[in-house]
Amino acid sequence: MTAEARKRRVSLRWKIAALAAATACLVVAAVGVLVHVWTVDDIRGRGERRVHNGALAALDVYKRSGVLSDGGELDPPRLPASLRDLSDDHVHTAFDEHVEGNSGPTAWGALRTDGPGSPVLAVPYNLSSEYHSLRRLDVSMAVASLVALLAAVPVAVYGAGLLARRLRRVSETAVRISAGDLDARTGPTKGGDEVADIAATVDRMADSLSRQLHTERRFTADVAHELRTPVGGLLAAVDLLPPGETEDLLRARVRDLRGLVEDLLEISRLDSGAEQVARARVPLGEVVREAVERTGYETRVAVEDAGSVETDPRRLERIVGNLVINAHKHGTAPVEVTVRGHLVVVRDHGPGYPADLLREGPRRFHTGAAERGTGHGLGLTIALAQARLLGAELVLANGPEGGAVATLRLPY
Amino acid sequence: MSSPDPAAPSSAPVRVLLVEDDELMRRSFTVALERYGYVMESAADGLTGLERFREGAFDLLVLDVMLPGLDGIGLCRKVRESSLVPILMMSARGDGLDIVAGLEAGADDYVVKPVETGVLVARIRSLLRRATYAPSLPAPSLPAQPRPADEVLAFGDLTIDTGALEVAVAGSPVALTPTELKLLLEFAAHPGIVLERHTLLRNVWDYGWDGDSRVVDLCVQRLRGKLGRDRIETVRGFGYKLRR
Repeated sequence: MTAEARKRRVSLRWKIAALAAATACLVVAAVGVLVHVWTVDDIRGRGERRVHNGALAALDVYKRSGVLSDGGELDPPRLPASLRDLSDDHVHTAFDEHVEGNSGPTAWGALRTDGPGSPVLAVPYNLSSEYHSLRRLDVSMAVASLVALLAAVPVAVYGAGLLARRLRRVSETAVRISAGDLDARTGPTKGGDEVADIAATVDRMADSLSRQLHTERRFTADVAHELRTPVGGLLAAVDLLPPGETEDLLRARVRDLRGLVEDLLEISRLDSGAEQVARARVPLGEVVREAVERTGYETRVAVEDAGSVETDPRRLERIVGNLVINAHKHGTAPVEVTVRGHLVVVRDHGPGYPADLLREGPRRFHTGAAERGTGHGLGLTIALAQARLLGAELVLANGPEGGAVATLRLPY
Repeated sequence: MSSPDPAAPSSAPVRVLLVEDDELMRRSFTVALERYGYVMESAADGLTGLERFREGAFDLLVLDVMLPGLDGIGLCRKVRESSLVPILMMSARGDGLDIVAGLEAGADDYVVKPVETGVLVARIRSLLRRATYAPSLPAPSLPAQPRPADEVLAFGDLTIDTGALEVAVAGSPVALTPTELKLLLEFAAHPGIVLERHTLLRNVWDYGWDGDSRVVDLCVQRLRGKLGRDRIETVRGFGYKLRR
């Protein structure tokens, strides 16, 4: 993940919480609007029925006694326009939406008192108290929704947090696997849901990867193991050839082959973790000098106040030998080895290590670029693995004025 | 290379028994070592090897660890029951347990296969030097002549006659292989002084820093087995010393 992506990263937890909050808001809004609309409908229906009945009752009283009862009025000036020109004897109702002060909308029921042209008897009913209740209902709804939202969001955050944590465990496992730790597993997770599925899948993937890698390593080890006897035979037989150019060529090739088989076996052993370190306190300068001598290459060794180190001298020899041989094979002479304190520095005057080697570390059977020359690229892999085994730090870099510089820092 | 080995004794040719199952390697080493002046006999499996060994007197045995039938370790153990002849094991690289088992069974040194003839010859010579230096072998041709600096060293009830090269614990003689004897003499020359593994590897086995210190450890173990447990002390992280 790049730094920029990390910056823009929003945790799943907050996303889910936001989604839950949005859903809750939406539900609350829909319910609120529906309740409001239905209530308004109900209020107006009841108002209509009330003025309808009031008008009929008032007409009955008016016809019998000439008295206006039930709040009835004759041709009131406030009467809505739709009720002024009634053509039949039925009761008509209408609403006056005019609101003034505390009074709400008014429902009107009206009918002709005595056929066409007669005065219109109208009964009003002010809905202010109903509308007041509606507003109270709206407020309670809003308050209840807010409370529900306040309760729901933390629950959602918590629940999403659990989910996110389980997912994070899976992701951490995947990161460790991709970093090369094939023993990383999430293990059984609770839930029995998709997260548990993905955890199990990642674990299975790691299983199959490590099985594959194991098979491959096993194969390499087996091949190297099987090659050993024929190569040993060749090595012994080549000594029997009469001396000459052919014999020299053949011997050199057989030696290369032997070196390759031995390197492969060494890598297999380092891979399998079966190697054991035989530590002893040894004079660093002497061991390095001898190791360089044994490579057979012309190399300058400078020992500056080297101390003694507690290490496995044979492995140390192997590391130094491989670095020196590598410097001669892929770099340019002069190759210089400097021992200072607990440091061993091997540097050459060639083009330096290729960029991808510095970036990704050495890869088996990969020498990088043509300018690094020939070789099977196992030497540095072995040196690094041996250094790790000794608890030493081996840093590969290019010097300021060119040339490959390998620095081995041994533990005290 | 084809010239005779100047180190090989000219009067009595050195007889070497090679037990190796791979035919190419067996034949190549036989021919190559013959060129160095050794008289070679070979066997392709452990039991035949044991038979050959019992039939003739050999100055040195080269045994492969992996052998059909009786393996190299078993063969080494059988040989050690009756003989102190120098034994060189050939082990496949990385089979660390083989090496340990071989040295425990009484081998003096080992080489890792695939091995070049030059390396093999160097190890054989080093072993033979120990054997001629310490003629406690049943070899009548080498009379135990008293040397000028002859003396009998005593460490408790352990006595070492540096002239006759005889070792005895509480008066009863102990049979040591040439390597064991040379190691003991190395200790006896520096009684009470700690000898580092590397020093012992260099002085007894002719190795540099590339030597395997387990060779020393296991030979010391065998010496302790023959001389008594606490005769040689381990100084952790450094080496060993002989108790005065």
